Amino acid sequence: MIQEVLMFGAILIPMIGALIIGVVPIFKDDKKRNICIFISLVLTLFIVILNCLYGDVSVTVLRLSEKLPILFKKDLMSKWFTMLCSFMWLMVGVFSFEYIKHEENRNRFYIFYLLTLGAILGLGFAGNFVTLYLCFEFMTFLSMPLVLHSGTKEAIQAAKKYLYYSIFGASLGLLNLFFISYYSPILEFLPGGVLNNISLTQNAHTTLLVVSFLSIIGFGAKAGMFPLHAWLPTAHPVAPAPASAVLSGVITKAGVLCIIRTVYYLFGVDFIRGTWVQYAWIILALITVFMGSMLAYNETIFKKRLAYSSVSQVSYILFGLALLNKIAFTGAMLHMYFHSLIKDVLFLTAGAIIYLTHKTNVKDFKAMGKRMPIVMWCFTIASLSLIGIPPLSGFISKWYLCVGSLSLNIQPYAILGPIVLIISALLTAGYLFTITINAFFPGNDFDYNSLEKIKEPKLMTIPMIILTILIVLFGLYPHGLLNIINSIVGTIL
Amino acid sequence: MEHLAFCQNFPFFTIIMTLSSGVICSILKPKKAMYFQCIVIFATFVMSLITLLFTLSTKTSYAFMMGHFPAPWGNELRIGPFESLMATCFSGIMLLSLIGGMSHIFEDTEEKKTNLYFCMISLLLSSLFALIYTNDIFTGYVFVEINTITSCAIVMLKYRGGKTIVATTRYMVMSLLGSGLFLLGITMLYDLTGHLLMPQLGQAVNLLVESNQYMFPLTVIIGLFSIGLSIKSALFPFHTWLPDAHGNATASSSAILSGLVLKGYIILLIKIFYRVIGLDVIEVDQVTNILFVFGILAMIIGSIKAISQQDIKKMLAYSSVAQIGYVYLGIGLGTNLGIIAASLQILAHAFTKPMLFVCSGGLMDVSGGSKQAKDLSGAGYRDKLTGVAFTIGGLSMVGIPLLAGFSTKFNLCMAAIEYGNIKMIMALIAIIISTVLNAMYYLPAIFNLYHVRHDDSFKDVKAHYHFSYAIVLVIFILLNFSIGIFSDTYESIISMGLSTFG
Amino acid sequence: MFNNLFSNFYETTAVIIFGIGFTTLLLHRNLIKKIIGFNFMDTAIYLFLAAKGYIQGRVAPILIFENGSYDTSFERYINPIPAGLVLTGIVVSVSVTAFMLALTIRLYKKYHTLDIDKIVRIASKEEE
Repeated sequence: MIQEVLMFGAILIPMIGALIIGVVPIFKDDKKRNICIFISLVLTLFIVILNCLYGDVSVTVLRLSEKLPILFKKDLMSKWFTMLCSFMWLMVGVFSFEYIKHEENRNRFYIFYLLTLGAILGLGFAGNFVTLYLCFEFMTFLSMPLVLHSGTKEAIQAAKKYLYYSIFGASLGLLNLFFISYYSPILEFLPGGVLNNISLTQNAHTTLLVVSFLSIIGFGAKAGMFPLHAWLPTAHPVAPAPASAVLSGVITKAGVLCIIRTVYYLFGVDFIRGTWVQYAWIILALITVFMGSMLAYNETIFKKRLAYSSVSQVSYILFGLALLNKIAFTGAMLHMYFHSLIKDVLFLTAGAIIYLTHKTNVKDFKAMGKRMPIVMWCFTIASLSLIGIPPLSGFISKWYLCVGSLSLNIQPYAILGPIVLIISALLTAGYLFTITINAFFPGNDFDYNSLEKIKEPKLMTIPMIILTILIVLFGLYPHGLLNIINSIVGTIL
Repeated sequence: MEHLAFCQNFPFFTIIMTLSSGVICSILKPKKAMYFQCIVIFATFVMSLITLLFTLSTKTSYAFMMGHFPAPWGNELRIGPFESLMATCFSGIMLLSLIGGMSHIFEDTEEKKTNLYFCMISLLLSSLFALIYTNDIFTGYVFVEINTITSCAIVMLKYRGGKTIVATTRYMVMSLLGSGLFLLGITMLYDLTGHLLMPQLGQAVNLLVESNQYMFPLTVIIGLFSIGLSIKSALFPFHTWLPDAHGNATASSSAILSGLVLKGYIILLIKIFYRVIGLDVIEVDQVTNILFVFGILAMIIGSIKAISQQDIKKMLAYSSVAQIGYVYLGIGLGTNLGIIAASLQILAHAFTKPMLFVCSGGLMDVSGGSKQAKDLSGAGYRDKLTGVAFTIGGLSMVGIPLLAGFSTKFNLCMAAIEYGNIKMIMALIAIIISTVLNAMYYLPAIFNLYHVRHDDSFKDVKAHYHFSYAIVLVIFILLNFSIGIFSDTYESIISMGLSTFG
Repeated sequence: MFNNLFSNFYETTAVIIFGIGFTTLLLHRNLIKKIIGFNFMDTAIYLFLAAKGYIQGRVAPILIFENGSYDTSFERYINPIPAGLVLTGIVVSVSVTAFMLALTIRLYKKYHTLDIDKIVRIASKEEE
C-alpha cells in the first residue's frame, strides 16, 4: 500500500504544487512562490529517493478497454530515470529563481515547469505502452509553454515546430501499440521483451521489424536523432535558460527512455539483434554524432552551439543502446546521467552569462573568465568532462561506449564507432575549449582596464557548483552507479 | 402474433411525438415553443433509453409492424441495440446542443420566427429517428428528404447577412443531387426485386447474386446509393457545401448538422450495406474501395484546408470533413470490425463536435460576436469553462488517450491491421498524417485562446451565461471521457447490435 | 444492346431526362433554371417508376365493378405500388421546389440578381 502511495505521490506532488501556485493568490508574490516551488521540488526528490529504496510495485489505474490498461510500474529502470529527473529539476529550479527575475509571466512558467515534472515522472513509472504514450503526449504539451514563454514570434514558431515533430514522432511510435497488441497477448513492459514465446510468420516478422524501426525514429525525434532532430536547434535559443537546461538535459532523455522501453522491454533484444534495424540505427546515431559536432563547431550563437552539442551527445547514448551488448549499454546509461549533469551546467552558465551580461554570441565572451570566475570554472570543468578527459566522468562513459563498440565483432560497424567518437571528441574540444581559452586568456591586445568583475548571484552559482562537484566525483568513484547499472543490465540482456 | 411489451412501442412513439410537436411548435409563441420542444426531446431521450435497456436485456432486435399490415406489404421498423443506442445518443446530443446554443438561437433568428426554428428541429429529430429505425427503403427516402429540407431550414433561419442564404442554396442543391441519385437507385432496385422492405430486398438480392444475374445493374445500384448518400454526408469530393453551411449557421445548428445530420445518412448507408446488399457482396465489389480512397483523401485534404482558416467555425467545419473521412475509412474496409470502428467514430464525433461548436458560440460571446481567430485571443481567460471544454474537445480530436478520439483511432487501426495488405498500410499512414495535421490546427487554436495579446480590446469582458450552458458543457466533457475510458461498453453494444442487424 | 434500349424506351427516356435535369441542376448558373433542372430530375424518376408499374394489357388499379361484385383478381390490374411511390415523390418534389423558390426570392431581394456565381462573389465580399 505504502509503495503505491509513494509512486503516485512522486507524480502528483509537483502537479499539486503547480495547482497551488496557479490558484492560491498569496503565491503571486515572488518570494513565497519560490519557497513553495522549492518545497515541492525537494519533496518530490525526497519521495523519489524513498521510492528507490523500496522494492518494485505495479498498479493498474483504470482500463481504457480490455487490452489497454493504464499501468504504472516501478522497476530498476524507472528508479534510475526518475532519480535523474527529480534531481536535475531541483537544481535547475533553484537556478531559475534568480534567472526568472529577467522574465515576465513567471507564474505561468513555474506552473508548467512543475506540471512537466509530474508528466515526466509519470513517463518514468509507465508500465505499459499506452501509459507511456499518454505521459509522452502530456509531457510534450506541458513543456511547450516553456519553449514559447517569451511570446515572441520566433518563440511561437519554435514551439510549434517542437510540437509537430514530437507529435509526428509519437504517432510513429504509436504503431508499436497496434502491432504488438495484434500479435502478443501481453502489453506490459517485460525485461527481455514480450515477443519471445510467440511464433511469427515471415510477413509478420518483417512488419514488426519495420514498426520497430519507425518507432525508434519516432521516439528519436524527442531525443534529437537524425532525421527528426531539427526542432532542437530552433527551440533552444528562444527558450529561457532554465527551460533549455531541462529540455536538453532531461526531456531528451525521456525520448531515450521510450526507445529503451521499446527495444529492451517490448520487442526484446533478440528480435532486433543482427537485423537491418540494428545496423540502420547504428548508422543514424553515428551520423547524428558527427553532424551535431560539425554544426556546433560552425555555430557562434552560444545556446545554439550547445543545442547542436546536445543533438550530438544524446546520440552517443543512442549509439550505445544500438549496440545491444552489456558494455555499451553501461556506457549509454552512464552517459545518460553524465550528459545530463554536464549539459545542465553548460546551459546554466549560458543562462548566467545572458542574465548578467546580455551577451549571446561566443565572440563576445572574451575575458569572461576574469569577470565571472565561478561560472567559467564550472564551464571549463564541464567541457573537459564532455570532451572525455580523465579523470572526469565523461571519460568513463566514452570508454565504455568505445569498448562496447569494439566488442561487437561486426565490421565495419565495430571500428566505425570509436573512429566517429574520437573525431567528435576532437570537434567537441574545438567548440568548447576555444570558449574557455577566450574567456581566461583574452590575448595581449585586450584592454584589461575595462574589466569589471560581476557579482554572481548565489542562487545561480550554488546549483552549478553542486553539479560540477558531482561531475568530478562520478569520474573518480563511479562504482555506485556501475553497480546499479549492472543489476539493470542483468535483467534485460 | 407475440405480445409486445409496452416499451417496444416507444420508437414509434418517438417518431410520432416529434412529428406532431413540430406541428404544434409552429403555432406556439417562441418562449413556449422552446420549453415545449425541450420537454418533448427529453421525453424522446428517456424513451429511447428505455428501449436501449430493453433491447440490451433481450440481446436481440425485433421488428415493429406499422398498422396491422404484415410484411411484405406493410411498413416496418426494426429496433435493436445498435439502433436504440444511436437514437438515445442522438436525442441526447440534440437536447444538449439546443440548450447550449439557446441564447444564440434567440439572437440569430427573427423574433416572430423563432418558433419555426423549433418546429424544424423537431421535424429533423423525427427524420433522424426514422432513418435510424426504418426497415423500408422508400420510407428511408421520404425521411431523407424531410431531413434535407429541415437541415437547410435550420441553416437559413439565421437571418443576418446574405451569406447564410447562399450557403443554404448551395447545401440544398447538392443535397438534391444526392437525393436524386438515391431515388434512382431505389427505383432500379425495386425494378429488379419487387420489394421495398429491407429483409425481403436482402433475400431477393441474395437470389440474384447466387444465380449471377443482373450483376451489372446491382453494381450500378450500389454505386448510386453510395454516391447519393456520400454527397449528403459530405464525403470528399462532395464536401464543398459543408464549410459554408456549417460555418455560417448559428451555433446550435452547426452542432446538430455536424454531429447528427451527417451521421443519419451514414447509418442509412450502413443499414443498406448490411440488410439489403449483404457484406459478402460488398467485399467483392469495388465500391468499398472507392469509399476507402475517398475517406483517406477527406481525412488529409479536410485537415489541410482547416489549417489555413482564420474563422473558427469554418475551421471546425473542415475538421468535420476530415472526421467523416475516418468513418468512411472504416466503412471502406468492408469488414465487420471496420464498421464497428466506423460506428464508434460516429458516436465519438457526435459527442465531440457539438461540444466544440457550442463552445465556439460561447467564445464568440466574450469576443464581441466575432469568429475570427485574432479576436478570440485570450478568450480562454475571459470564459474559463468554455476554454477548458474547447481544449478537451481539441485534444480529443488530436487523439490523446483517455479521450474519445484515441479510442476511435485505435479501433480503426486495429480493424485495418486485421484486414491486412495494402489497405492496411494506406490506412495507417493516413491516420498518422491526419493526426499530425489535426494537431496543426487544433493546438494553435487552443493556444490562441490562452494567449493574451497586448492590444486586447476585450480584456475586461466577462462571461455571462445561463447556468444551463455550464451544465451542458460539463455533460459534454463527461460524455467525451466516457467514450475514451469506457469504449469497451459502447463497442460491445455496437457489435451486439450489428450481429442482430442483418 | 440497342434492342434493349429501344424496347425499354420509357426507361431510356427517363434516364436521358434525368441526365438533363442533373446537369442543369449542377451546371447552370441561373437559380430558376436550377430549380427547373431539379424538377426535370424528379419527373424523370417518376416516369421511370410509372413505367415499372405498367403491365401491357392491364388497367389502372381501381377495382372494376363487374357482374354485381368487385373483381379482385390481381391479373387485371397494373402494379399499384409504384403509383403510390410516385405520389409520395411528387409531394416531396413540390415541397422542395417551394423551399427553393422561397430562397430564390430572398436572394433576389437582397442581391437583385439570379446568377448564383455573382451572388457568391458579392456575398463573400460583404462583411458578416
